[in-house]
Amino acid sequence: MQLFLEQLTNGLAVGGIYALIALGYTMVYGVLKLINFAHGDLFTIGAFFGLTLLLSLGLTSHIGPVAGIIVLVLMVMGLVALIGALLERVAYRPLRTSPRLSAVVSALGASIFFQNAIMLIYGARFRVYPHDLLPTTTVSFLGVSIPVMRIVLFGASLVMMAGLYYFVQRTKTGTAIRAAAIDQGAAKLMGIDVNRVIMYVFLIGPALGGAAGVMVGMYYGQINFTMGWVYGLKAFTAAILGGIGNIPGAMLGGLLLGVIEAMGATYISLAWKDAISFMVLILILIFRPTGLLGERVADKV
Amino acid sequence: MKKFMLIVLAGMLAVSLLVGQAHAQIRIGLMAPLTGSWASEGQAMRQIVDLLAEEVNNAGGVLGQQIQIIAEDDAGDPRTAALAAQRLSTRGIVAVIGTYGSSITEASQNIFDENRIVQVATGSTAIRLSEKGLRYFFRTSPRDDEQGLVAANTLKDMGFGRVAILHDNTTYARGLADEARALLVEGDVEIVFFDALTPGERDYSAILSQLRARNPEVVLFTGYFPEAGLLLRQRHAMGWDVPFVGGDATNNPDLVSIAGREAAEGFMFLSPPVPQDLDSPEASAFMAAYRARFNDDPASVWAVLAGDAFNVIVAAIEGSGSTEPDKIAEFLRTGLEDFQGLTGTIAFDDKGDRIGELYRVYKVDGEGRFILQP
Repeated sequence: MQLFLEQLTNGLAVGGIYALIALGYTMVYGVLKLINFAHGDLFTIGAFFGLTLLLSLGLTSHIGPVAGIIVLVLMVMGLVALIGALLERVAYRPLRTSPRLSAVVSALGASIFFQNAIMLIYGARFRVYPHDLLPTTTVSFLGVSIPVMRIVLFGASLVMMAGLYYFVQRTKTGTAIRAAAIDQGAAKLMGIDVNRVIMYVFLIGPALGGAAGVMVGMYYGQINFTMGWVYGLKAFTAAILGGIGNIPGAMLGGLLLGVIEAMGATYISLAWKDAISFMVLILILIFRPTGLLGERVADKV
Repeated sequence: MKKFMLIVLAGMLAVSLLVGQAHAQIRIGLMAPLTGSWASEGQAMRQIVDLLAEEVNNAGGVLGQQIQIIAEDDAGDPRTAALAAQRLSTRGIVAVIGTYGSSITEASQNIFDENRIVQVATGSTAIRLSEKGLRYFFRTSPRDDEQGLVAANTLKDMGFGRVAILHDNTTYARGLADEARALLVEGDVEIVFFDALTPGERDYSAILSQLRARNPEVVLFTGYFPEAGLLLRQRHAMGWDVPFVGGDATNNPDLVSIAGREAAEGFMFLSPPVPQDLDSPEASAFMAAYRARFNDDPASVWAVLAGDAFNVIVAAIEGSGSTEPDKIAEFLRTGLEDFQGLTGTIAFDDKGDRIGELYRVYKVDGEGRFILQP
């Protein structure tokens, strides 16, 4: 039982990160029907920007650790959002009317470009966040000791997801995003500036991905230029699991994937952990081809 | 104006061709993970090989010819390695250095063999690589069975009775884990855990929770340093103090920066001696040259083994007075006598494996330094 609870918290912590990244995939897919393969690399960029800002500005020593980290995460979100918007402008907008496959190839190209650009700028070696950044206290809960930062990390991702959900459901811009996702042509006729909506999507998704990057960097310490690949793949899986194009689906899919991984590794086989997660994905897709919460049938890419 | 430019270009081309003719060159290939997750190893390999080639060329080259290094990136990936090997085979190289990672080397072995190119691998310790009877394959790194033996003996000598073994399913880590398990079981040691993690992830706490539930006295991790560093760091965060022992792929200073000094302290690993611990004149001269150029110590012993691969190839070309692959291979097998490499004496047996005991036990101290254990 103790092992089960311990693995549940492990799974939820990892799943929270998956969910944050999955939101970027799912939002872009919802509006553009495009899998943004460069999204994992935007996550990496977030981690590296966070490190640079942290080391050069010394925020945590000027305005205290808590405020410093919050400001840091916000700054990284802003910067990565700008890069996301730039990516859309350069790599996707010129291909808006071309066949969908061209945009996918462009996305793959952007991913390779980002990865190698990070390697050239920051080098190939692992970079490490300062070790004394976060407190290492643990709390005991039902006999399981959980690092406080895990809970904070999980809470932060929940807050961001809730904020996004509110934004998309309750604000005018959010309504415009939803409208453009349902039917771009009709949205245009209703006076919605679809290009602007797409830009918003490319600001929000990368911002969340960047936040996930800086959180992973702070908590796990080690970052390198290829880290986006594994997280991107897992988050993409999570988005499909929950129903791609569906925002609560991405959150549910991310958390579920994290827990499935942790449980599969514990009770079935460690080496087959990924195979088990993908097996669950296949099973869900057999019975619910649109994912857990998806409504519309996902188009093939 | 256009015509003029054309003439100038043609003239430049002709001159460059003539110059190329005048200085015949011996081309040596370098296949290394210049990008990908092992890029830090690959970049260091290239730095070292370039540095040594420059020294040889400044001293007049070999057989009166200059050496040119042709580098190709294998990205630490078997498919890319096969392509890199194909490309290198068409570039007129006499021998190739590399690569790091047994599964990557394996993908390139047959391509080089078919093209009669001498291959000297540098960080590829899987046993089966040299059991295929390939005539042109050599390696400056030791083999896993030697390391497995040292690992098993070390654990037994320390008196551990319940051992957990964790690998990462790569050719190398799996081979070493199997080897160590067989020897430990023979020696009446209980293996309480034997499984693999997925490399490249960040969160290994699920694995650590599971390991802790089996209550081992020691954990033997046979994978690579990025995962080892994270395991140590997360084990420390869990407040679990079981000793960890690593294989030679954990021998990289980045291990300590990833784990943090506090978490890395007490970690032990097996490895050929790190360059800083070598006291031969060759090693100190090399270290001095490396520090002067790059202002840093070489990242790991594996990159230095690439330097050794370069040195033996040059020695074989010089010793056999030829760039014929058969003669070079023959010389490497029989002609190297008391050859002082950067990592000690180098000689090869019939299979192309390096002869001699190389492994030592290292322990990380409180300052994050790797201390050679007596």
